[in-house]
Amino acid sequence: MTYARPTPALAIHDLRKSYGDLQALKGVSFDLHKGERLAFLGPNGAGKTTLIRCLAGLTNADHGEIFLAGQPFKSLEARKQIGFVPQEIALYADLTTRQNLQAFGRFHGLRRRELRDRLAWALQWTGLEERADDLVGAFSGGMQRRVNLACGVMHGPRILLLDEPTVGVDPQSRQRIFKMLDELSVTGTSILLTTHHLDEAEERSDRIVILDQGKVVADGSIDELVEKSVGTQRLVRLRIDRPLSSPIRAGVSEGAASFGTPGENEIATRIDDVSNHLPDLIELVRRRGYGIADVQVEAPSLHHVFLHLTGYELRD
Amino acid sequence: MILTVLQISCRRLLHNRVELLLTFLVPIAFFSIFAVIFGGGLGRGTTPKIKVVAVDEIQSAVSRHIMSALSEQESLRFVRENNASGLNRDQAMELVRSGSATMAIILRTDQEQLAAELMADASDQVAAQIVSAVVNRSIMLSEAEYQVAQLTDSEQDDNENQVAANETVDPNDESFGIEESLQRKVEIIDVMGEGKANPVVSMYASGIAVMFLLFGATGGGGALLEERENQTLDRLLSTQMSMDQLLLGKWFYMSCVGVLQVGVMFVWAQFVFNVDLLGHLDGFLMMTVVTALAASGFGLFLATLCKSRGQLNGLSVILILTMSALGGSMVPRYLMSDELQQYGLWTFNAWALDGYTKVFWRELPVEALAPQLAVLLVSGVVFLLAARVLAVRWETD
Repeated sequence: MTYARPTPALAIHDLRKSYGDLQALKGVSFDLHKGERLAFLGPNGAGKTTLIRCLAGLTNADHGEIFLAGQPFKSLEARKQIGFVPQEIALYADLTTRQNLQAFGRFHGLRRRELRDRLAWALQWTGLEERADDLVGAFSGGMQRRVNLACGVMHGPRILLLDEPTVGVDPQSRQRIFKMLDELSVTGTSILLTTHHLDEAEERSDRIVILDQGKVVADGSIDELVEKSVGTQRLVRLRIDRPLSSPIRAGVSEGAASFGTPGENEIATRIDDVSNHLPDLIELVRRRGYGIADVQVEAPSLHHVFLHLTGYELRD
Repeated sequence: MILTVLQISCRRLLHNRVELLLTFLVPIAFFSIFAVIFGGGLGRGTTPKIKVVAVDEIQSAVSRHIMSALSEQESLRFVRENNASGLNRDQAMELVRSGSATMAIILRTDQEQLAAELMADASDQVAAQIVSAVVNRSIMLSEAEYQVAQLTDSEQDDNENQVAANETVDPNDESFGIEESLQRKVEIIDVMGEGKANPVVSMYASGIAVMFLLFGATGGGGALLEERENQTLDRLLSTQMSMDQLLLGKWFYMSCVGVLQVGVMFVWAQFVFNVDLLGHLDGFLMMTVVTALAASGFGLFLATLCKSRGQLNGLSVILILTMSALGGSMVPRYLMSDELQQYGLWTFNAWALDGYTKVFWRELPVEALAPQLAVLLVSGVVFLLAARVLAVRWETD
């Protein structure tokens, strides 16, 4: 028995875009499935914003195709299916929460009863029912971010594009915003968000796409990316009671592994199996006469994957 | 500390080109503009000529001589040939009322003496004094020349001289004495301001109104740039709204605010300065609506032309104050040279003020506003279309 692969909510094929001599996108391709939460990462200038603008219909790609639920991307129709939340607080600060939501609901084509229903939902969703008639300009950054987000989903889009939705807000507000996004995801909304908070991307997304210099350099779940890039070995750091006089060798043979750098108080190495190999390593260090002050075990994270794939050089 | 504050202030000024431009070039630009207007720079050799018509009701040799002398005056420009097509007093007055001429010179007899009536449009407060002096001088010189000619003739022909002497009592003929001519009466009659409570105030009100319409419109245009800067424009364009709808919505809003702004000002003028707004409501509304539409189109055009609000502020201050100076919002255009008056026709202010003048000052029927309405409406639409074209870059960048 075979199962047909479901049509992606969003499919991007070989998208290219240049600004003069600068190639912002050099053939980007990936899919976004229904209800999927995709973190779209990349260093500054990688082309993330250009891709988001192409998807939001704010700029035209030079080459390539975009499909929405299998249908070719047409700007006006796409606008009904896509919600866009820019990085800036793109609201009318001198209007109330309710007035902002009503305005953007109307811009998205909602009328009368539908608008009323969505407005009630948005106020409840953002937790701002009590502040519905307060001016947005007087809100904290976190509250403004929530209204900013709600204005982009008033029309109930199938796909939500978010450009750094949690920049500049406190951990509590970030938590609340991701809870709101999870609620959307459960109802089938596909979410594509850009962020520089790698821990958030790792924890709050189903899939990660890393873009660098206009190209997709990684696409998969965090486990897949780790395995394909830095590997699954754990980084172990042993802090010892005095500087190392010479490297510690695991055996007497010429090919035996050695650990540590003379003069340093720390021994760092990678091991495959923590439960079996870490006790052996500790025992080896003790046998050489060193006391162990602290032990740290670090699992490979998205942070390591990201730097491994995109390098350590500054991009701006 | 103080030195550091001084240093960073200077460095910031040097880094901000727009501010630098505003600090040093704008004062020079305005000084130059006003120097040109009042100092005669561009208009040198083309001092403002007063548009006049003349009617000779006497039709004597002296009066014809005076008419001829007047037509040679450099300060006067005859909009009709003297007595052309049998121009009479009423027709001349109508030309003044309609604004085709600033003054009508009527030569007539008064208590059997030659006199001149100057039918004036008091909106030009300088013209009446100049024309009065010119007419007085022309009458005296012409009569003196005529007297000299008569005396020469009398030496040649005593009989004719006797006849001429007998006829000096006849004002319809050509033999007034020098002393009598010094007492000639040149009477100035205001054919426009009579019966009006405070006629000149309406002109100043409209001048100020147009200037503030332009400032208001560029402020509204600035809101568009603000939306672009904080990405609200991106968000709006990602909805079902198009740039066409956005610009039209802003155009109508800015125009409505402009109409209300000017309306409130004229209501105030009606209550406080007795400007007859209710008596001219139809013309006022027509002029205000098209002027507001034109100013709003101009504001949107400037906004889409600029990259930032800083640029818009600098450019709009320069353009609006220049247009207001040239177009007559600050000083009446009749004080400018003919050449500058022609330049003024490239500004909203001149057309709008001409229209308001027709409404409140000349009290012409609304049909007479057709040129002003047409020019302002077409310019508003043209600027709006230009703004639309410039905004294309915001949709596709």
